[in-house]
Amino acid sequence: MGFDFNSLLAFIIFGVTIGVVYGIVALGISLIYSGLDIVHFAHGEMYMFGAFFGLVLAHNVGVPYPVALIGAMILTAILGMAVERVFYRRLTRAGGGYTVAGMGMIICGFGMSVALVNAAYFFFGAEAEPFRANLDYIPRLTFPGDINVPESYVLTAIISVLLMTGLHYFLRHTKTGLAVRAVAHNKDIAYLMGINVPLMISLIFGLACGLAAAAGVLIGPMQSVQVEMGYLMLMKAFAAAVVGGFGSLPGAILGGIMVGIFENLGAAYISASHKDIYAFLLLILVLMFRPSGLFGVEAKVKA
Amino acid sequence: MKLMNKVFAGLVATGVGLAATAAFAGDIRVGITMRMVSENGQAYGQMVMDEIKAINESGGINGNMIKATLMNDECKSDKGVANANKLIFQENIHLLIGSTCSSVSLPIVDVTAKAGVPQMIPHSTNSKITQKGSEWVFRIPVSGRYYGGVNAKYVGENIGTKIAYICAADAASVGDCANMEKQMRARFGVDPAYRADVQEKEVDFRSHMQKIKSMNVDGILVAALAETMARALIQSYEAGISEDVRRIGSSSASNAPVPKIAGDAAKGVFFTAAYAAADNRPIAKLFNEMTRKRYGIHAPDHDFSQAYDLVRIMEIALNNADLKLEQWSLANDRTAIRDAIASVEGYEGLASGPISFCAAPTPQCRDGNRTAVLIGYTKGGENFETEVLARVTMEPDFGLE
Repeated sequence: MGFDFNSLLAFIIFGVTIGVVYGIVALGISLIYSGLDIVHFAHGEMYMFGAFFGLVLAHNVGVPYPVALIGAMILTAILGMAVERVFYRRLTRAGGGYTVAGMGMIICGFGMSVALVNAAYFFFGAEAEPFRANLDYIPRLTFPGDINVPESYVLTAIISVLLMTGLHYFLRHTKTGLAVRAVAHNKDIAYLMGINVPLMISLIFGLACGLAAAAGVLIGPMQSVQVEMGYLMLMKAFAAAVVGGFGSLPGAILGGIMVGIFENLGAAYISASHKDIYAFLLLILVLMFRPSGLFGVEAKVKA
Repeated sequence: MKLMNKVFAGLVATGVGLAATAAFAGDIRVGITMRMVSENGQAYGQMVMDEIKAINESGGINGNMIKATLMNDECKSDKGVANANKLIFQENIHLLIGSTCSSVSLPIVDVTAKAGVPQMIPHSTNSKITQKGSEWVFRIPVSGRYYGGVNAKYVGENIGTKIAYICAADAASVGDCANMEKQMRARFGVDPAYRADVQEKEVDFRSHMQKIKSMNVDGILVAALAETMARALIQSYEAGISEDVRRIGSSSASNAPVPKIAGDAAKGVFFTAAYAAADNRPIAKLFNEMTRKRYGIHAPDHDFSQAYDLVRIMEIALNNADLKLEQWSLANDRTAIRDAIASVEGYEGLASGPISFCAAPTPQCRDGNRTAVLIGYTKGGENFETEVLARVTMEPDFGLE
């Protein structure tokens, strides 16, 4: 394909819109990693459950799309907190992170992923469901060169910015946010300072799963909703988190956007048939030249 | 004491052997492996079982009952092959029905050919299935080589020859793309204006659509399984490709999830299939009514009609086969069923044309249905509507050059 500035702009714009979704999921993965030093491998399924919750609220209950989005975030946050409380708590108490319990938690995450997928098959069925959302109140953007950005993509960008801003405000400017950051920094010292660490860990899980749900509901109108949608998103978000720097919250978002742009440009100018390779190619390149990620700090090891 | 033990062991072995023989004798054992992961898949799997039950209730096949075992292969080739092996070597089936996915039916052809078990395929379009030269395989649906010819003729003569191709990696879609490409080249001397091979469950087509938009093509062929196709159709409109650019579907477009998921983006999409719910024949109307009442299907696609036709053809063949149905006669019975299916000629059912087989293990003999219907969606969504644009019967050799 020959070079054309308008097409380049279009590929970048679409890359950013999908990238922010990767970023939101990566943000959740990074948040959990910050708090517990583990990668939550069932996070893709939280994203999937969030999308289904949103779908049920919008289609079956009949609430407007923004309400469905918030409802799905709350329900998925509750699901995430319940999963953490019932299944992960013993392991997080035993240390999490770089311990035997941490390894157990990673395996538990894999198991939870399979369990949630099967539960979703049971409750929602195997068929992909269209997520029809009335987004007439959102303007359709048209850029020079006849580049149309549909309403759902515009909404995705707006909601993503709002979520990131909200999360930043919560973590930086509230007492609870400060407590969450303290737990993320060092759980033992946080205990000694009188912070309810288990509660904060539950909160971290809730926040992370709520963010995943938001991503699921945002992607629904673009790609429909189905049980197996979580796996690839987890992989892309994982790549975004690593590229941005594991544990770095701004890095997760920027990593997501970079992954989105990189894979879109690769698809456009190299081969669209192997689009998923580019995200992981970027991941490998970053790991080779900057293992801590573009915005990460040197890895900390907690025993 | 040792002698008593031996006598006892001998009696037990004989008893087990007799019991096994009794269990095997008399029944015609049919194994079925299908994709049953969706509501539609479960419904047509159930329909096959219900139709077999109805045959048994009306006296069976020359007094013998059909014992059917239904398995789900989830459209995964490893599961399909495992199912086929289990059905053939553990259940000792006389006949295998399956699968409903080309990528599953293709490897099963090798299993049935090696084991010497007749295989009737309810739905799989990839041309290679019958080109493997197995004398045990019979395809009820229309082969992709016929679909490719009908699509290419209609597209080239009515829409234009500048066509973009989006081809998913499943075996049916790969075959559909290759056949269309081959026929467009043969008839009109054109290559694809754009061609992209995408993953079977691709979710993001925006880069492709953006490129296609800048090319001013006459049409876009989306060859993919139903859900993937629906996503591509939606995203083609999101990218701003106008409705003047016609969307062409592969045969999977016949599946209900396409109009249901794609909604308004399905309107105007046309595709070739073996059966149209908009068919005006009385038999088709009765069938539509039956599937609606029994399974709650709004408009049955060709997966349903072909599964139904298959059971009827199987019934004809089993009635004509000289079956002994003893443990020792298993290989002979399988051969008799194969020969009886090969003798079916001019079967008129739900398919839009007659279905005939013959003895030679060639695509000409084993692609029984040569009539494709060109169907267009006039409305998308849950209550989608279709219209029949054309009905074409091809020559047996078509697409084999």
